[in-house]
Amino acid sequence: MSDNIAFWLSYLTNGKHLTWYASFQFTIFAAVFGGTLAVVFGLIGATFKNSRFLPLRVIGSIYSSIVRGVPDVLFFLFFPLAFEQGVEWLVASQVCSPEMLAAQSAAWPPCKEANWLLGTPEYLVLASVSLGLVYGAFATNVIHGALRSVPKGQLEAARAYGMSASQVLWRVHIRQMWVYALPGLSNVWMLIIKATSLLSLLQIADIVLWADRLGAPNFLPAVGLVHDDWRWRYYLVLFVFYILVTWLSEKGFDAIMKRAGRGILSEAR
Amino acid sequence: MDRFLTELGLFAPAVVFNLYFAIASIPLGFILAVCLALGKASDNVLINRLSRGYIYAFRGSPLFIQFFMIYSLALSFNVGVWKPMGISWWVLHPLFIGPLVLTLNTGAYTAEIFYGALRAVPRGEIEAARAYGMSRSQQFRQVIWPNLIRLAWPAYTNEVVFLFHATAIVYFALPVIGQQKDLMITAKELFERDYNAFLHFSVAALYFLAVSLVVFFLFGLVYRRLMRHMPAGPRMRYAPSWWR
Repeated sequence: MSDNIAFWLSYLTNGKHLTWYASFQFTIFAAVFGGTLAVVFGLIGATFKNSRFLPLRVIGSIYSSIVRGVPDVLFFLFFPLAFEQGVEWLVASQVCSPEMLAAQSAAWPPCKEANWLLGTPEYLVLASVSLGLVYGAFATNVIHGALRSVPKGQLEAARAYGMSASQVLWRVHIRQMWVYALPGLSNVWMLIIKATSLLSLLQIADIVLWADRLGAPNFLPAVGLVHDDWRWRYYLVLFVFYILVTWLSEKGFDAIMKRAGRGILSEAR
Repeated sequence: MDRFLTELGLFAPAVVFNLYFAIASIPLGFILAVCLALGKASDNVLINRLSRGYIYAFRGSPLFIQFFMIYSLALSFNVGVWKPMGISWWVLHPLFIGPLVLTLNTGAYTAEIFYGALRAVPRGEIEAARAYGMSRSQQFRQVIWPNLIRLAWPAYTNEVVFLFHATAIVYFALPVIGQQKDLMITAKELFERDYNAFLHFSVAALYFLAVSLVVFFLFGLVYRRLMRHMPAGPRMRYAPSWWR
């Protein structure tokens, strides 16, 4: 019995498993950084959409409708690849000489010197930015709606106190907007959490990739424990992990909503 | 321009797979969702708990993980169950597993929508139906269901579009067999050939946008038909809200 427990403990704490546990940091980083960026992009997009200057309004509307009109995976893959190519193209226009261009046989990059090799940290940041861009479009819609549900009287009162337009915006409008935006933003946050499972598509060794490696059948005693296909057990762990994170976020958002709703008579709950 | 047209042609066989996944899982998901929504509203403690738990689990976890989990579960039964029965070529085929997982997933999301609509059915109408002496099944068929589907239809439209978007990750989790490639795999393979991200991904995005618009149009027609008794029915919202 105790032998058994000791065996499983040592199995679950071997090097590969520890790497798996460590890879949770990528998921958490992407969720937190991507979520922050989504709120930032959402605020920018909503300001654009609310703008009185027509081109800005059009940009805001196009951003929020086009990005939501295509699957998140597509944009999630497209943005890092396109960004990498854009940088390489810029570098190539500076460093490549005609001889280098002639020497290059592959389709991309234009010359070997302009190649930008991305590692895990770079991909992680790019993935977070693209998560932020995709879900920023959702947040744009939420915040746009929330800005419009702030009672007009509040803004008029602020204006009557002699506040300037930017003071009204930052001290009254956006402050009061959060109560109306929080239910929607909590939904966007859940979407972001679920989208973090896609990190392995950008060659990041995240929890999904490690679950796949650890669960893959092993027949060589030299490599480790001999077992058949255990992948479903590892995926079951991830399944439960994501449900727990969702549950925790729900509790967290409930608490935040309660706090943000202090002193406001009828909020959107 | 010529290049763009050939590109459109290259993607045409691929969109069939996305459409297949969506069309195969929508009716089944619809039926599952109705059962789950009724289960969540049921007074039977066991049924209630089970439906609640199912809906929570499948809404709270990523579809990507669900794909991996169910596919690897099916794989682990292969030697013991599917092989002896001689159906392993069929059970493990992406064209079967894909719609299966999508059905389980969309069933949970749609059930939540239907449950919300079920709770929004006007109380007075149900009481009136009971006062008329209608049986429970009559109440459901003639009062609750017509109300429910009208209340839920706009949100259900969004869910169907999201389901179509979700078909994009099917082949990232399941093996690609031969030439059976969907839009995303086609875009990725073409990208790996000539590194033209802007062309290939934009064309794939165009296909997704086009199908989404068609879905909005068709479901809008159904909604108009559902609301034909109303003088000027509330306009259908085309902008998806933050469902999912």
